[in-house]
Amino acid sequence: MTILEGMISGFWQSISLSVFPYLFVGSVFGLIIGVIPGLSGHFAMAMAVTFLYQMEPAAGIAFILGAHATVAQGGGLTAILFSTPGTGQNAATLLDGPQMRDKGEAGIAVGAAMASCFLGATFGALVLGLLIPVLREVVLFFGPPEVFVLAFLALTFVAVLGKEDMTRSLIAALLGLLLAMIGVDNVTNTHRFTMGSERLADGLQLVPVILGLFAVAEMIDLWVRGGSLARNMPKALSAKETQAQIFQGIGLAFKNWWLVMRCSAIGTAMGLIPGLGSAPASFVAYGHAKQSSPDRETFGTGNVKGVIGPESANDAVEGGALASTIAFGIPGSSSMAILLSGLFILGLDTGPQMLNQNVDIIFIMIFTIIIGNFIGTLFGMFLVNPLSRATSIRATIMVPVLMAIIATGAFAGERAIFDIGVAVTFGILGYVMKILNYSRAALLIGFVLGFAVEKNLYLALLLDGPLFVLQPIPLGLATVTVVFLVWNVWVIIRDRKRVIPIEPKA
Amino acid sequence: MRRQFLKTAAAVLTTGVAAIGFGSSAIAQDAAEFYKDNVIKWIVPYDPGGGYDEYSRIIAPYLEKYSGARVDIVNMPGSGGMKGAVEIFNSPADGTYIGIINGSAMVTNQLAQIEGADYRVSEYEYLGRIVADKRVLVASKLSGIETFEDLMQNGEPEIVGATGLGGSTYVDAVITGDVLGIEQRVVHGFDRSGDIRTAMLRGDVHAMWGSLGSALKGIKSGDHTVILHGEKNPTGVLEGIPSIYDVAGAQDDAERKVRILESWEALSAVGRPVAAPPGVPEDRLAFLREAFSAAMNDPEFVAAAADADRDLLFASGEEMGSIAAAATELEPDVEQLFVAAIRGEI
Repeated sequence: MTILEGMISGFWQSISLSVFPYLFVGSVFGLIIGVIPGLSGHFAMAMAVTFLYQMEPAAGIAFILGAHATVAQGGGLTAILFSTPGTGQNAATLLDGPQMRDKGEAGIAVGAAMASCFLGATFGALVLGLLIPVLREVVLFFGPPEVFVLAFLALTFVAVLGKEDMTRSLIAALLGLLLAMIGVDNVTNTHRFTMGSERLADGLQLVPVILGLFAVAEMIDLWVRGGSLARNMPKALSAKETQAQIFQGIGLAFKNWWLVMRCSAIGTAMGLIPGLGSAPASFVAYGHAKQSSPDRETFGTGNVKGVIGPESANDAVEGGALASTIAFGIPGSSSMAILLSGLFILGLDTGPQMLNQNVDIIFIMIFTIIIGNFIGTLFGMFLVNPLSRATSIRATIMVPVLMAIIATGAFAGERAIFDIGVAVTFGILGYVMKILNYSRAALLIGFVLGFAVEKNLYLALLLDGPLFVLQPIPLGLATVTVVFLVWNVWVIIRDRKRVIPIEPKA
Repeated sequence: MRRQFLKTAAAVLTTGVAAIGFGSSAIAQDAAEFYKDNVIKWIVPYDPGGGYDEYSRIIAPYLEKYSGARVDIVNMPGSGGMKGAVEIFNSPADGTYIGIINGSAMVTNQLAQIEGADYRVSEYEYLGRIVADKRVLVASKLSGIETFEDLMQNGEPEIVGATGLGGSTYVDAVITGDVLGIEQRVVHGFDRSGDIRTAMLRGDVHAMWGSLGSALKGIKSGDHTVILHGEKNPTGVLEGIPSIYDVAGAQDDAERKVRILESWEALSAVGRPVAAPPGVPEDRLAFLREAFSAAMNDPEFVAAAADADRDLLFASGEEMGSIAAAATELEPDVEQLFVAAIRGEI
């Protein structure tokens, strides 16, 4: 089967009556899972996989992948409306999304997020399609030295992330790296920072940490502050106003098409890199959006570009992440491992066989991502109105309800009460950080990338010796990292010089 | 998962109420009656979607068919499968709690007394074994190694990839390397065996130990070649390839070496058994074993497993008891070697 034949066949199968209903149900299911804080794409797939035993291959793929593809979209809704990341991928959206809501622009933010998600997902899926002939080479491009340097590059983005100053961001990022070390070290079997707790031997789980840092902290803040989630808003937006705002937001995403493209490219590339995951991708995209905008100062106060950037990246990841699973049958993440076993259950073989004989299946995946996100966008628009009304409910009612949902979300992943404790602990930490103006995003990035940095550094050292950084590709990437850092420091010094003369007056 | 939890909670509650209601008469029930319309909780110590989960979900309907009970699968990942294994070990021994365990890993963890290994592999009551891995050493095409001889005569140490310290890819490499005198450098620290395979495709790593099942794809596509295996009677793709026994038999001190390798094989033989906590009433255990055996031998189930490309290697509950004993009761010198290997001291 040629690629073109596969594409045509894949497209017709995706919209056929025997597949589309499953794709629809899967997408809506994923969207709802995404809206619920703490329930991730991994979770949606784990639930969906148990239904596959009675399904036809094409329908099964559309169902399970549809459920995974729309999760980030749902999560964006929660992030903007409730200051609570629906999934880890949406943590970066918190930097500007909720601020827009407070300005009374919730509809614009949601519209922009939904459209960016759709555009990003389409971009990532199309890139995957274009890469099919060279997929194997692309996946093998990234070895431990490359991944290490790339993870490090991503880490340097914390410098520009928040509105917080760089020293505080670095402190937070280093704390994140330290937190990533908790647990049994894979290499030496040593228990690190577990303080004798068997629970901590598995390390901290990402979901309760994110929920704590952002969601619980926000709830504490809301409780202390009183009032309602949407600040400075005497009453909720009317349905009509919201509707108008949504379309305005969608328009903004298309107007910033060049930014969407660049951030989607970041997302797709980071999806291709094994072990980095999608949360860093959206932060890097946010960093890039901020860096490249002339109105840099307004980031963090509700700039729509701060929503468009991360939201287009976090769904573009999907296309990249599929690459190693399809090319070699080797999953790059836990979600992809579930997808792979789903394909297994459906009787489909990945690797060279799929690339040569079942190209149509790959295109069903590609169209599932695109169509699924389109369905997610349409459905999400209907969800905005009822959800945004809830943002003007007063804290005394809202906080207990949301806390119950958050606690359930923290519990659900590992079914461990301990994780609720983790969420609460990190909630307090997050609240303190918020008050003292430390970047929670930086801490999260350090935490997420800590694993990748350490593991790949160790492997690179063992495989290529201490001079691994001098190989051409890692050297090139390392140079980019250094240039980026130096430039950032320079910008900060320059800005500081500019600010100083004004300070005495203020 | 939450829904499953609620379902299970409801089931446990109903069972509890039923148990209070029938109280004294429950003793008089015979096993078949006990299981009819009862609920069996089947614990999977890994996430949905993995091999353990898939085996469980394929066989569950057949166990339902032969036991008359409903089988609820509960995923309980954590501590590399130990959390679920401990959960099974400590659950009520009334015959309504069973689960699949990663037998070989549980044995090595127990031998090395790893924190969290709060179970005794030889004390579980076994319903039987679903499958045991065939262990194979595969070399990548890029390494230029096509036979075990090539590996031995290469003149420089081969880079063998492995996952975490004490994982099966690691223990296999270290023990066979030590016994057979393979010149190698074991690079461990890969997250999962898939990552080692990618590293082999890139040329970073030359060879790895693993199960035949997960190596098949690479063998079929020509990326990997099997150069050594642990089977005494090789069949299928392994035919004509030397086994560890062939190699050890031709070396000095063959008898001691074969003895160690047989113990190593006993580790893999534990495979993926279905276990119940110690102390399940005898009549219920006998009933469960019979139902499990019938399910494993149901032609429809065998076909379903073949469809999913999942190997089967049934062993009865009684046989599993002796396999587990053989794997845990090692001669002192062998045990010392294994513990050293698991702890990374070789």
